[in-house]
Formats: sequence, structure tokens, C-alpha cells
Amino acid sequence: MVINNKKPNTKYYLFYVVKFQSLPFYFKQLFKLFTSLVLLQTNNRQEMRIVDVKGQQCPAPIIATKKALKESEKGEAFKVLTDNQTSLNNLTRFLMDNKTEFSVDEADGVWTLIITKNVSATSIAEVENYCTPAASVFPKGDFVIAITSDRMGDGSDELGHLLIGNFIKTIKDLDLLPRKIIFYNKGVTLVSDESPFLRHIKDLEKMGVELLICATCVDYYSLDGKIEAGILSNMFVIADALASAGNVVRP
Amino acid sequence: MVESGGCSAKISPKQLEEILKRLPLPDDPNILVNVETHDDAGVYRVNDDLALVFTTDFFPPVCSDPYEFGQIAATNSISDIYAMGGDPVIALNIMMFPAAKLPLEVYAEILKGGSDKASEAGVKIIGGHTIDDFPPKYGLAVVGYIHPDRIIANTGASPGDSIVLTKPVGTGIILAGQRLGITDGNDIAEAKKLMKQLNRQGAEVMKKYSIKGATDITGFGLAGHALKMAKASNVSININMRKVSLIGGTYNLVDEGCIPGASFRNLDFVENDSHLGKNLDYNLKMIACDAQTSGGLLISVPCDKTEALVKDLHEAGLQYSTIIGDVSEKKHKFLYLKN
Repeated sequence: MVINNKKPNTKYYLFYVVKFQSLPFYFKQLFKLFTSLVLLQTNNRQEMRIVDVKGQQCPAPIIATKKALKESEKGEAFKVLTDNQTSLNNLTRFLMDNKTEFSVDEADGVWTLIITKNVSATSIAEVENYCTPAASVFPKGDFVIAITSDRMGDGSDELGHLLIGNFIKTIKDLDLLPRKIIFYNKGVTLVSDESPFLRHIKDLEKMGVELLICATCVDYYSLDGKIEAGILSNMFVIADALASAGNVVRP
Repeated sequence: MVESGGCSAKISPKQLEEILKRLPLPDDPNILVNVETHDDAGVYRVNDDLALVFTTDFFPPVCSDPYEFGQIAATNSISDIYAMGGDPVIALNIMMFPAAKLPLEVYAEILKGGSDKASEAGVKIIGGHTIDDFPPKYGLAVVGYIHPDRIIANTGASPGDSIVLTKPVGTGIILAGQRLGITDGNDIAEAKKLMKQLNRQGAEVMKKYSIKGATDITGFGLAGHALKMAKASNVSININMRKVSLIGGTYNLVDEGCIPGASFRNLDFVENDSHLGKNLDYNLKMIACDAQTSGGLLISVPCDKTEALVKDLHEAGLQYSTIIGDVSEKKHKFLYLKN
């Protein structure tokens, strides 16, 4: 394991040719320089610790991450670098389960996780939907999906049910995920504990897709206490989600 | 010799379940237990008094000593017969060995370890098969006898039963820590001792109390195997993780982040059918998912017999045997883990 505690780099050299004939230009450039210096210094102050676990397999990356978490101050962020998909999956699962905020970026086969030690572990632990911090891993498009039935299309009910299951499964593979999925009328049965597709819906929730479940509908179909994913929502929340979406997809 | 994960080398239980669903089940009234209930071994009736219990298991090395590896692999293979309440009788060696890469002495030592353990269990090894492959893998295919009316299946857990576990858990975590050099030497020794311990004594006690439901804990972890038993019996199993005995420093290792990859696979497999309470300690949850190599028996005991059974287990030398939970009518989920 390589832990690189980089000291802030305070040395930088400026080569700047001032052209007196263009005073406005000079001021503009000076202003630019000034702002970039401020930015640079801010960045330097937050120079992050890097935990490099490239080439390492589980459980070594988790051990290194946990150690860094223990050594960090609350609110402090650090980077973890890994080149192993399984390690990445296990790390993100570990962080989500422990309600630790993180983001992931990939470049040239190396994933960079930026992990922030929770400001207050207890207050974050109380949040039911702990997967939201991971949302940035999976890009979202400007659309919401309205699931209004436990079937997809008209015709055979059995086929329709299979199709909606397949549809839900396939959402995960889209290039852009929906911002929200709204379940109303018979659609809410898909989020109940007896739904054969619950696993996929939960996966979507973990990927940061907000699930809105019509509370009135849950009541109507006597599914109180049996809804296993999403947030029970009233008509205002649902109407607002539909109205503010760029596109509404209704399978 | 290269060390890897023992039973954690299994493929993902989730994938396996989906693949097995696609295979047709042979139809024969003499098949008493098949893969449908994901039991430890298959059972085939020969006549009204005799059925055969048939199982196999093999995996890559869990330790660097080839003799010890042979012992552990054989113990693990035979365990499935005990878990069904059977008496192991004969076995075949299954071996994959890189003859060009490792000295044949290593090969001989693995077989010797297996053979010695088989003798201890009263099993005769009557043949085998070897393929050239790296890393080495070893195990047995074992046949046992059982009376067709006395099968201890994973379908036999009944509401009201207690759940007893006969060995402490943590072998996957201890071995992963060993590979990184962070496991205490005493814990490694303890884990090896437990992995080499036959489940024979436990099986004998089960038979004495006419137990109907049991399984052994291996690659799918305590949570995975408890879930399989709950599903097969259509009940809910409730486990208090604080009651589960752990090998030495297991908890501290997990707390340092020593969580083998297999635990995540197992967690993935169990979580949809399990209630993992919001207050469930994260480390204990991951310990429940730790893949065990040659783990203990998980026994479903009628409540009135529990105390006597545990006492007998202790007297038989299984001093870590404890009541870790109970069985209830099927609730929302099949498995409930709490602490």
C-alpha cells in the first residue's frame, strides 16, 4: 500500500509578459491570474491524501480505506485509487453500507474514489435512503419514468407482467438513468415485498434513482408495511415530479 | 503452495441458483433429496432400509502445508454426509495438480492428508482422478449410508425449534488476514484445528435426538446456509449474531476492514430474502456472510431437547456449541439477523 501524504506545493513561477499598449487586456489578464492564484491556493490547502490500492485484491483495499477513514478528521476527504472492478464494487458496497459519502471517477482503467468522512455519523446513519451519495457514479438523464401498472402494453396480462419486469431490469443498462421513477395505481405492487422484480428496483435505488411511491395507491391495494423500496409520496410530490421533468417515459 | 480461499472459491450462489434452475431435474421416486432444496448432498433410496448419500466438494489450498490442506479438504467433503445424518463409507479422490510446477512430493502429501482424515472418519478411498491444472485443487466425492426414514434434511426446520451451531465462525476472515500477515498466529492455529475437525461427533448427537433439520456451514456462510435451510423448510430463521462464537480475533480483523470478497457475494445472495436490521452491527453482518471452510453443523432442535443436546455436544468435545437463534412460522423474510 502506498499512502502518499503530499505536502502542499507552495512554489510556482510566473512568467508574464505585460503588453502596455493594451491596458484593458492587461487588467483582464491580471484579474484572471489573481483568481487562478486564489483557486490554486484553495486547492493546495485541500491537497488530498491518496490511498493507492492498485494491483491489490480484497480485502486489502478495504483495510487500507478503513484505516484512512479512521485516521481522517470528520469532514476530511481522501482519494482511493483502484484498478480492479471487484475491489471497486466491494469498496462502494462497503461505503454505502457504512453510509459514507463518496464519488467515483474512471480514467484509463483506474477508478478514483473521493471519500469524505462523515461530519456526523449518527445523523447520516438515520437517513433511510443511504444510497444517494453514490448517485454521482451513475449519470442521470433529464427524464422520469412513470410506472402506472404492473404490466407493459395491452394484450396478454402474463406477457405484460414479464415485459414490465424486463423493462425495469433493462433501465439499469441505459446510458443515462432516469432521475426518478414514479409508481402509481397498480404500479405500486411492483415495489411490494412480493414483487418478483423488487431486487432490480432496489438496485436502481442504490444507483441513486429516486423512487416515488403513491401512498394513496399503497393504501388502496392494502400494501401498508409491505413496500420495500422508495419514498411514499403524496399527489403534490408526484405531480411536481411529472411536471418538472424534461421528459416523462411511460412504458 | 499457493494459498487461496478454500470454500470461498465457490462461484456466486446467486449465479449458481439461476443456472441450476435451467437444468431438468431427473424424475425417479427413489431420489429422496435432489438439488431442488439446495441441500448438502443428494440421497437415493436403494431399498426400504437403505439409501445412499452422495456428495462432492473440492477447492484450492487454504494453507501452505500440503498435508494439512489434504486433511482440511477431506474433512470438508465428508462433512456433507454428516450434515444429512449419514455414515460416510467410500470416497474417490478428486485432484487437480500442476505436475510441471510443483514437486510430486506435494501431491503425495495432499493425498496422504486426505487419506488419513478419511481413515479417521471410517471412509475407504477406493479410487480417484487427477487432472493437470494450476493452482492445485483437492477434495473427495463421498458416498454414505443412511436409513431412508432418518434423513436430516435442510427441509426439516420447524417453527418453535432452536438453532444450534457447533463450531465458531470466521475461517474466511482469519485466512484472508493470514494472507496479508495481519492474523494472530494462535488464531490461525485455532482455525486450522477447527477446519480439520470432523462433524462426526455432532452428527452422532443429532442422531441420538432424532433431529429432522440440519445443514453444514461452508462457502455461503452462516447467513447463506441458514437462508437455504429457511427457504427449504418454508420457515423464518432468527439468528442473534451476538450469540455466535467467533474464532479469536475475527471481530477485530473485520473491524480493520479485513472482509474477503466472498462475503460481499454472499451478502448479495442473502439480502433480498433477509431482514438485516438497521441496528445490525456492520461487522457482525459481514461475519454472518463469511465463507466458511469445513464449518460446523447448523442444527434445528425441538425446543424441549435443546438443552440436553447442547450439553451432549459439549461433552463430545464440541465446546463452542451454542444456541444462536430459533425458528418461527414464515414471516416477511426467511432470515432475520439481529444483535
